Amino acid sequence: MYKYVLRRLLLAIPVLLLSSMIVFGLMRVMPGDALIALMGESGNVNAKELAKLRKDLGLDKPYYEQYGLWLWQMVSFNPGHSIFTNEPIAVSLKKSIPVTLELATLAMILGLLIAIPIGVLSATRQDTPSDYAGRVVAVTGLSMPDFWLGTLVITFAAIWFHWIPPIGYASFWESPWQNLQQFMLPAAVLGFRLASATMRMTRSTVLEVLREDYVRTAWAKGLAGRIVVYKHALKNALIPVVTIVGGQMGTLLAGTVIVETIFALPGMGRLTVEAIFYRDYPVVQTNVMLVAATLVSLNLIVDMTYAWLDPRIRY
Amino acid sequence: MSTISAEILPVEVEASDEVSRLRSLWNVMRRKPLGMASALLLLVLVFTAIFADVLAPYDPLEARPEIRLQAPSRAHPFGTDDIGRDVLSRVVYGSRISLWVGLLAVGIGTFAGMIIGLACGYWEGRLDIILQRVMDAIQAIPGLVLALAIVSVLKPSTTNAMLAIAMVIIPGNSRIVRGAVLSAKQNRYVEAAQALGCRQLKIVLTHILPNVTAPILVIASIWLGNAILIEASLSFLGLGTQPPIPSWGLMLSSTGRAFMEQAPWLAIFPGLAISLAVFGFNLFGDTLRDAWDPKLRRRG
Repeated sequence: MYKYVLRRLLLAIPVLLLSSMIVFGLMRVMPGDALIALMGESGNVNAKELAKLRKDLGLDKPYYEQYGLWLWQMVSFNPGHSIFTNEPIAVSLKKSIPVTLELATLAMILGLLIAIPIGVLSATRQDTPSDYAGRVVAVTGLSMPDFWLGTLVITFAAIWFHWIPPIGYASFWESPWQNLQQFMLPAAVLGFRLASATMRMTRSTVLEVLREDYVRTAWAKGLAGRIVVYKHALKNALIPVVTIVGGQMGTLLAGTVIVETIFALPGMGRLTVEAIFYRDYPVVQTNVMLVAATLVSLNLIVDMTYAWLDPRIRY
Repeated sequence: MSTISAEILPVEVEASDEVSRLRSLWNVMRRKPLGMASALLLLVLVFTAIFADVLAPYDPLEARPEIRLQAPSRAHPFGTDDIGRDVLSRVVYGSRISLWVGLLAVGIGTFAGMIIGLACGYWEGRLDIILQRVMDAIQAIPGLVLALAIVSVLKPSTTNAMLAIAMVIIPGNSRIVRGAVLSAKQNRYVEAAQALGCRQLKIVLTHILPNVTAPILVIASIWLGNAILIEASLSFLGLGTQPPIPSWGLMLSSTGRAFMEQAPWLAIFPGLAISLAVFGFNLFGDTLRDAWDPKLRRRG
């Protein structure tokens, strides 16, 4: 197991390094200098100022030096300043990461709470109206864009219940009730999308497992239905579900970008979209890299959980 | 003589393949009514996009402030927006943008992915190791976030959104093609062609490529739905298609959200169009997969 963990860790490093090169290259090599665009948009392209800004930001150095410097900044958790607000990126990340983390965690919990019971129900009552209903919900969730679902939820909450989420972000520790009001709907929207794929996977794996010999034995022993399904079948059926949930981390992180924008939550996703609008490339490259690193680490954790759950798996 | 037979063989294989592929698709569609429904849905979508000029009752860009924010009625079945444009006409024209971006992005992404996959799978070795790690690195960034980063460097526009989506598609495609090439390479006729001294490029193009077209087409059809979704998301965020061009995602964000309480139809219809298109492509992709390459179910 340790060897496997170590190997996976070592394999993740080159992937991350290459990702960082791609992100860095993307921000430099593409046509159109971000600084000229930035200054052009603000209406004063002054060659002297441009040169000064370029020097301040280290853009006059050769690319490999800039890359090395940026890499060092990332590793030492000090990714420089925003060129738009001049705020240290670390400070804005410190404010926005907890928001995204809370949203993603709540969405994941809600997603699993919706997906697993409905998936099990669909499988144990295969080809009944409740199975059909469950499957329709899953397919709908997969086709509905989260920005549409989010917009509809806000619209109809306002029309039918005259309720809009409280404006002005409050952290959970400051005002738990206001915080939950703000996060409930976005987490449900994001969770619903995650639940759809998990629901389908849970249904098919539970169906598969229910046909196994040991489940038949459990029935033959005269165990109660609930124990057979939840204790014997579900435990083994959940192994592939872990992979599906792991594979959804990318969807989850991308989903936070959209959902935070719709529900005006000051998380990392919204920070990135705003930075893109202002062509604040240090913020964009740091955030994109952070998302990539998070995704690679989460995938690593999922792979390890998988190996732990199913000892036959070793690469 | 043997050289001649090596040249004739693929032509025969291709022709018979084509017929059997269409037949197996038809068989699966007959068995699965949902597959048939998705094909019909896509036909309607393509038809709408092609004949948008004829089908749209009004000019999608014509503003008539005197009838702004009108609820759905006989004259305007989907209502009108904040400056009095007909929402139905805009949704009809929006199908052009979605399909256009989807088809081109998937076309470019699939072609590039195919070239990389063919090269990696056929030649293996160092090239394969390096290119596959690069693909891993691209895949480490979630699709939408990568597309956002690319659009941020280029300027927000329909074309750039399309290029960004193509980039997102390349790694997954290259991997699927690579896998298919690796297994196609094991065939005796490839070994025979190599032994006969066929040029490598010729082996790849005439003996291996026909074997990997099925997975490529299946993946492409599944990706079309995703491409439409990413384009809509980018336009929704203001980083894709720019106003006043009617794009479904943009319609939702620009007017749909601003007037959602007064005019919920502005948010309902474009969203419904996106969902139906994505639903159609996803389901049709599943049907193609069942018909042509059931193994993909496990691989992807």
